Amino acid sequence: MRRLLALQTSFATLLLGGLLGSCTTNTALQTSLCSQDPSIEANCNALGVDGGPNGQALGLTGYQCSGSQRPDQNATFVQGIPSGLVCANRSAGVDGGTSGTSGAYCCTSQTTTCAYNPIAICDPGTYGYECQGANRPESFNPAITCGQGVPDPGQGLIDYCCSGVGLPTGCTELDTAICPGSTVGWGCSAASGVLPKGQDLAESKSRADEYYLLCAVPTLIGPNNIFCCYPPAQVPPGGTCVQDTTVPGCASTRFGFACYGDDRPDQDFPPMRCRDPGVPGTSYQGYPATVYCCDFAPEADGGV
Amino acid sequence: MSKNHPLHSPPGLARIVWAASVLLCVACSKNDDIASMTYTCGSVDPSAASGAGDPVNDCADLDAMLPPEPTLPADPDPSCILKAQQATSETPPAGWIPDESNGQTTVDTARIGAALKTCKVVKLVTDGANNAFVSGHITLAGATLWVDAGVTLYASRNPALFIKTQNCGVAGVNDSGACNDFITVSGASPAVVGDGIIDGQGGEPLIEPGNPSPPSWWQLSGALQQIDGSIGNPTLINLSTGTTGFVLYRITLHNSPKFHVKITSYPPAGPTVCTTHGDGFIVWGITILTPSRWFNSQGLVMTPHISRNTDGVDPGETSIATCGVMVHNTISTGDDHIALKGGHAVWNVLILHNHFGTGHGMSIGSETYGVYPAPDGTVLSGVTNVRVCDLTIDADSRPVGNGASPGDFNGIRVKSDSSRGGIVDDVVFKNVCMRDVNNAILVSTAYNPLFAGTNYPQFKAITFQNIHDVTCMGLNQPVVTLNGFSPAYPAGPLTLDNLTVDNIGPLAVEAEFSNIILGPGAVNFMPSGLDVTVTNNITDASAPTNCVFPTLPAPQPPAGWLR
Repeated sequence: MRRLLALQTSFATLLLGGLLGSCTTNTALQTSLCSQDPSIEANCNALGVDGGPNGQALGLTGYQCSGSQRPDQNATFVQGIPSGLVCANRSAGVDGGTSGTSGAYCCTSQTTTCAYNPIAICDPGTYGYECQGANRPESFNPAITCGQGVPDPGQGLIDYCCSGVGLPTGCTELDTAICPGSTVGWGCSAASGVLPKGQDLAESKSRADEYYLLCAVPTLIGPNNIFCCYPPAQVPPGGTCVQDTTVPGCASTRFGFACYGDDRPDQDFPPMRCRDPGVPGTSYQGYPATVYCCDFAPEADGGV
Repeated sequence: MSKNHPLHSPPGLARIVWAASVLLCVACSKNDDIASMTYTCGSVDPSAASGAGDPVNDCADLDAMLPPEPTLPADPDPSCILKAQQATSETPPAGWIPDESNGQTTVDTARIGAALKTCKVVKLVTDGANNAFVSGHITLAGATLWVDAGVTLYASRNPALFIKTQNCGVAGVNDSGACNDFITVSGASPAVVGDGIIDGQGGEPLIEPGNPSPPSWWQLSGALQQIDGSIGNPTLINLSTGTTGFVLYRITLHNSPKFHVKITSYPPAGPTVCTTHGDGFIVWGITILTPSRWFNSQGLVMTPHISRNTDGVDPGETSIATCGVMVHNTISTGDDHIALKGGHAVWNVLILHNHFGTGHGMSIGSETYGVYPAPDGTVLSGVTNVRVCDLTIDADSRPVGNGASPGDFNGIRVKSDSSRGGIVDDVVFKNVCMRDVNNAILVSTAYNPLFAGTNYPQFKAITFQNIHDVTCMGLNQPVVTLNGFSPAYPAGPLTLDNLTVDNIGPLAVEAEFSNIILGPGAVNFMPSGLDVTVTNNITDASAPTNCVFPTLPAPQPPAGWLR
């Protein structure tokens, strides 16, 4: 989720500029490297029996692709509205089907208001969509599962990371973790390398209106990374700072950030307090950035 | 019969007529391409209707299922009757809110708490001019709290008396469990009754030593609105898991810091043993008015829009709620009027003869994912077996305030999303009149599309029968939304039978992933959309339900102000 924040604003522009001339409502994509496959399609629509309570035919179309092709890669933006197929990969490639080794896809038969996002940075095994409106990708394609949506304040769209073969294992909230202020402890498998996400809150009705967690540098205890997190406000438009738990020298329970612009983490993520100036460095994504190490410090706590 | 809410309410015809005359001119559009709005401002006195009786109030089949109206208990032993020790006044600013600077709060908290531990019934009464009690957190276990006429029981403004975590009363912290309730209810047959008032003081400044301008509970909540956060303000009345046979009768509730009443209660014989509706819980003849004044004691304007998250009555919020009735209530607040929360299970509930003013709607959800395996082997799920009949929702009952959104004017709402969805089945909304609501009917599986999860909403048989939404002072065309979640989880059958939404535009009906049945009564719009099937069984040209809206309790504006 965190990674979606960095590049989301450029995606729509990229598609708009590059694909404007190809505005189409493809309903049965045929490319040299993707073709419809009835045997895959039968499997796709069997989900209506197993996955849905009513056994409806889901109207999905099966594709077999080769190379790095995907059936949904020709998404377009029409007057700012995403338009494309939503596809569930049916083979568990670690890159969600972008490496060129897979495979089979179950796709919507009609274009939707979601567009495949080739530059979304999602967790291994997942891939991105950018959607308009209230419908999540799962609404168009019941064979897919997506993580918490992240609003794109610049475009008015919502970004998702999705998978047709299940999302990576999540994290567990830890009431016993010692965390500063009102941050909350989470435990995640260190081997998986994942961070706590909004969907890990599950159906907690008391906090169901939180969708995004910002986490400090973890403490390794046994096989688990212990994080201290809180739900921040949305990053203001133009904000370029993203959390980065790999900032060199940033100790456990402190919050690391990488900023690509002139803004600072305490501007983007109040009540974060960054006493030290940022230093030139490299973000976890490998881009030049100013990195910071900061503390969660709401006024009521008087600092940490 | 309750004191204020007779079964057949008299019409509020006068205010309807003037509003119609004023607003008819607004409808005179010069653009031939845009349909003019029709302002009818209600209808005629149902008593004058030609031979048809009063279809709106006709819930005879369901009335037969109601228990007898509760009664006030006999006076308890004198040691259980507590006399007020201070006075408040309706003349601002002096005496408007109770003085908490002299230790009075501690006295009332202690003596009310002590009485509730030893008395089956505790009655709060006036003593001459003294009419107010002020208290911190109270626990009520299997007892009856009786607030007599003329008495107001105030929740203290001191967060220190509600501390559950370090975040109670702390600004900017998203901790919905930070504070204790004002009144925590538990045990067998607990009750809160009487003709008095319980006032949560949600809009009044908190007591914060050293802070010359402390915020109110509502301001703390509003500060989190931008991040859609949830403040930990006290609930006015909250029932604990395991409560049975709860009764809320005739009481008036004002200005809760957050939710007014959260109900988890079921019959003493067991959650699924519903011999008579009401065995589980009864909410009868109560009034909720929030905010209750135009200004707070500091002169700040109080509106429903700023009283955020002040749901009226929410069965199922904490745990299961079954076999209940909610009858003859009047609710006007800043969030859902009633919300049936299926995070555990809500089953077998009658909601009859209620009148709503401002608020976010007669709602189901957003939690509907609950699954409760009862001891007898029955499994209850989500929200099932619900009947709503004879309901008015009047968005014109008072101003909502600056910054109000369309969601502040909801009618009937069934809401969930994939983070908290489950079964909603066998629900009937019958004989419902609405006025100037933006979302007349909202069946939404995308309460918040950001939320992830695999708890997909499964909205099944939901019926809307004899529904009429009228336009009186509204300038926006009302909207109807009938959305299932996906082809695998469609909504339906959604039955629309004699349903009229005045001034509904051609683009104001949204439907997808749903199976819709029209008729046999007429419906004045045709749903269509992605994966929508419509079965048209309309066989008669039934007239729209005749709507009459009673005048609801509302704060009186200052002299010289226009409403």
